[in-house]
Amino acid sequence: MDEKKTASNAGETEALDDALQKKHLSMLERLSNRHQNRLDNALTRRSESESSSSPSFESTSSFFSRFSDSKRSIESQLAVSRTASSDPTQLKSHFEKISASISDLEKLVAENSYFLPSYDVRASLKTVSDLKQSLENLNSELIPKKKFSFRNKANKKESIAQEVKEPSPLNCSSVISDKTSFAVRESPGLRNRKGEVLMEDFRGKEVGEFTISDLDCCEVRIIGCLRALFVHRLKNCKVYVGPVLGSILIEEVEGCIFVMASHQIRIHTAKKSDFYLRVRSRPIIEDSSGVRFAPYHLTYEGIEEDLRGASLDEETENWANVDDFKWLRAIQSPNWSILPENERVRITNTSTLDNIE
Amino acid sequence: MGLLSIIRKIKRKEKEMRILMVGLDNSGKTTIVLKINGEDTSVISPTLGFNIKTITYQKYMLNIWDVGGQKTIRSYWRNYFEQTDGLVWVVDSSDLRRLNDCKAELDNLLKEERLSGASLLILANKQDIKGALAPDEIAKVLNLEAMEKSRHWKIVGCSAYTGEGLLEGFDWLVQDVASRIYVLD
Repeated sequence: MDEKKTASNAGETEALDDALQKKHLSMLERLSNRHQNRLDNALTRRSESESSSSPSFESTSSFFSRFSDSKRSIESQLAVSRTASSDPTQLKSHFEKISASISDLEKLVAENSYFLPSYDVRASLKTVSDLKQSLENLNSELIPKKKFSFRNKANKKESIAQEVKEPSPLNCSSVISDKTSFAVRESPGLRNRKGEVLMEDFRGKEVGEFTISDLDCCEVRIIGCLRALFVHRLKNCKVYVGPVLGSILIEEVEGCIFVMASHQIRIHTAKKSDFYLRVRSRPIIEDSSGVRFAPYHLTYEGIEEDLRGASLDEETENWANVDDFKWLRAIQSPNWSILPENERVRITNTSTLDNIE
Repeated sequence: MGLLSIIRKIKRKEKEMRILMVGLDNSGKTTIVLKINGEDTSVISPTLGFNIKTITYQKYMLNIWDVGGQKTIRSYWRNYFEQTDGLVWVVDSSDLRRLNDCKAELDNLLKEERLSGASLLILANKQDIKGALAPDEIAKVLNLEAMEKSRHWKIVGCSAYTGEGLLEGFDWLVQDVASRIYVLD
């Protein structure tokens, strides 16, 4: 009987323990739920305020509270990146996220620069550039630098070219159908290609205007001088051109690399592209974002003479004097930047297909 | 100030003409103005805003307003319409792809009442570039024949690079404006 009692007692206490534990667990769960809820709310509240009031809250204090909030969050993200993961792809996306929030922060400063005292603008921009610097340091420390190389690419491209040859006529017809309503003759150019290496050698020829349009994943090499160049609708292309005596007009490009020299360069609706330029006047961008600039360097046999002939033999440093027509303010436009030296592509020679390195 | 000097001043003012240069970006407006004025045209940046040039041309004083043609700033063109005597529409004859845009912008401009009295000179620029459309082809594309009968207009092929055709165009424009405004001269 006693035994029974103790046994039942023991059973009771066990059950009690169980119940307690359950209670405890559920409490923890509730707590964490609430915590999550609060976080979510805070997030949505923040994003709401971002979308509703982005450029228009004209008070220094509210700017600073937002500024320091996002600064702190970026710093904490930076701090955890050492322990976050050793997988380079994950790290990379982590860094990309941080970089996106840094540029958001920069944008915030830019948008509010018109009412902030100039000291505060400078201080905030300094903070932003410090954040950028530490991100860059971490990036170069944690992700092993990949070597840039063009090797074997030519072969690969040829095989791609063969694969995609078939759908390209389709492309063609769709482009032709939305052509201008007037019967205007087509100018010389390269159009409607996918995954090809395209080469034009104009040395010793007199060429007027030239058009490069509707290319996808192509590499274009133009050797010799042109009078004018039009570039339209390019995706993931590399474009190397010799000196252009008149002007270059670029519209709707994405994920491209351009190496070009000209008297005037206008860039419209470009996204995430790198421009290696030599220009006699100031290059301009309009409706563009994520474009980066670096100095021109290209060689092929006879390029020196061509550059001299086009009065483009002198480096004017204008490649860095970009005017953004969508950013008519005193401080740096968030739409373009100077390509960091360690990310610049080295181009040696475009005379032949193989010796690009 | 004596009466004579006042009269002189009015007289001088009368000889002034206000010329507005517009057209798509990259058509060569600034280069044309500088070339006419005999200035260096080797380094010209795309126009951010506008330039004003006062040029003595024959016996007239031309105030040339050269307004930037980038898409973003085209909406500001109308700020310059007031009191325009001569309108110059510049076309890049080698930019075949954007002739549609060019026509649309010109049509828009000509709807403007404040410009209805202005003489219209169309400069088919960049004739020196191989592959450029000839002035009569440009006229067809822009459908100039369909313009209102009351409008004084002329199209001239030119090259701001060589200077060819510029004087022919401006001679016509200045004469046409003068014949309308200074009838008594």
